[in-house]
Amino acid sequence: MPKERLIVIGGDAAGMSAASQARRRRPELEIIVFERGPHTSFSA
Amino acid sequence: MHVRNLKTGKSAWQRYDQLLIATGAVPICPDIPGSDAIDICGVNTLESGLDIRRRLDKGTMKRGVVVGGGYIGLEMAEALVRHGLEVSLIDRSPQVMGTLDEEMGALVSQALRNIGVTLCLEETLTEFETKAGKVTGVVTDNRTLPADIVILGLGVRPNTALAAAAGIPLGEKGSIRVNGRMETGVAGIWAAGDCAESFHLVSRRPFYIALGTVANRHGRVAGINLGGGYATFPGVVGTAVTKICDVEVARTGLQEEELRNLGIEWVSAIIKSRTRAGYFPGAGDITVKVLAERGSGRLLGGQIVGMEGSAKRIDTLATALHAGFTVEEMINLDLGYAPPFSPVWDPVVTAAREVAKKL
Repeated sequence: MPKERLIVIGGDAAGMSAASQARRRRPELEIIVFERGPHTSFSA
Repeated sequence: MHVRNLKTGKSAWQRYDQLLIATGAVPICPDIPGSDAIDICGVNTLESGLDIRRRLDKGTMKRGVVVGGGYIGLEMAEALVRHGLEVSLIDRSPQVMGTLDEEMGALVSQALRNIGVTLCLEETLTEFETKAGKVTGVVTDNRTLPADIVILGLGVRPNTALAAAAGIPLGEKGSIRVNGRMETGVAGIWAAGDCAESFHLVSRRPFYIALGTVANRHGRVAGINLGGGYATFPGVVGTAVTKICDVEVARTGLQEEELRNLGIEWVSAIIKSRTRAGYFPGAGDITVKVLAERGSGRLLGGQIVGMEGSAKRIDTLATALHAGFTVEEMINLDLGYAPPFSPVWDPVVTAAREVAKKL
């Protein structure tokens, strides 16, 4: 069975805050963040 | 979910168990002739800011026009002035900073004039002049301003086209409707940040606000829930701060226009004080406005314009709004005092006292 997967659309403040919180709580969760631009977390 | 790689052009379907939409907001672009011309710039990402800087660093731009006198407009006007451009700012309203009441906005308008910005107030943008696809001027209902670069500061709208196409219910101003845990109306799909709706703790109504502070808190709550925990986002009071050169600007809660629309009766007071004890070196002017509900005295909002040390005083008012304080309850707040930091009565408390006299 494949790993449970979280997809996040957008890698700025909200997306990356959520991804890091989810990672901290569930190390086994597969997390993929898609970001259109070249930078992440620029307003975090 | 279908994803295209912008570098390779390849696209593929991606499977998800849970999906978080954090697509942010996009600058509002006026639907008028010439609005797609080169050197008309919105500012909503780090890359868009860098792009403007690269254009300015060429050193060929002499005249900048900022459209809209909100946070982005103000901060970009300052940036253009610092780059040595001759700057004009257009706003439809009688004063800049529409998130302040007019008499407080007037102080910000004056601060802009003091740094050499030409204000074109109560003017409406009608057209952009262009030459070979590049912007050369901005036309209002009153004049034509030559421009080498135009900055759009007309606010943002939530970037929710994808969510809408997927049938996810939208709310205030087209933002994605979420519950307290940041779940949308579709199972397994969540939303956070500038694309998502908030709740206003003073008006007790759904509210749209696009700010990085809120986005970080939205994201934290969504992430805790996605990580198997339980968290809720209670809402916002609409706090925001900015500065234009030496002048700090802050606001929280509801302003007069919002209170009028909500049918809430209010009283208000504006006081002038100093950022430090009056005799202490470096004391600067600070003006504070506080609004409270007529009769009950419930604090409804506040606005501050002043020199260094002014803006963060808004946090006292923001905290009092969260707590549901009345202005009378604010009078006895045990705030810090020593001459280098404040007059013996903190300016926000002085303003609360003045409002309390009028209830």
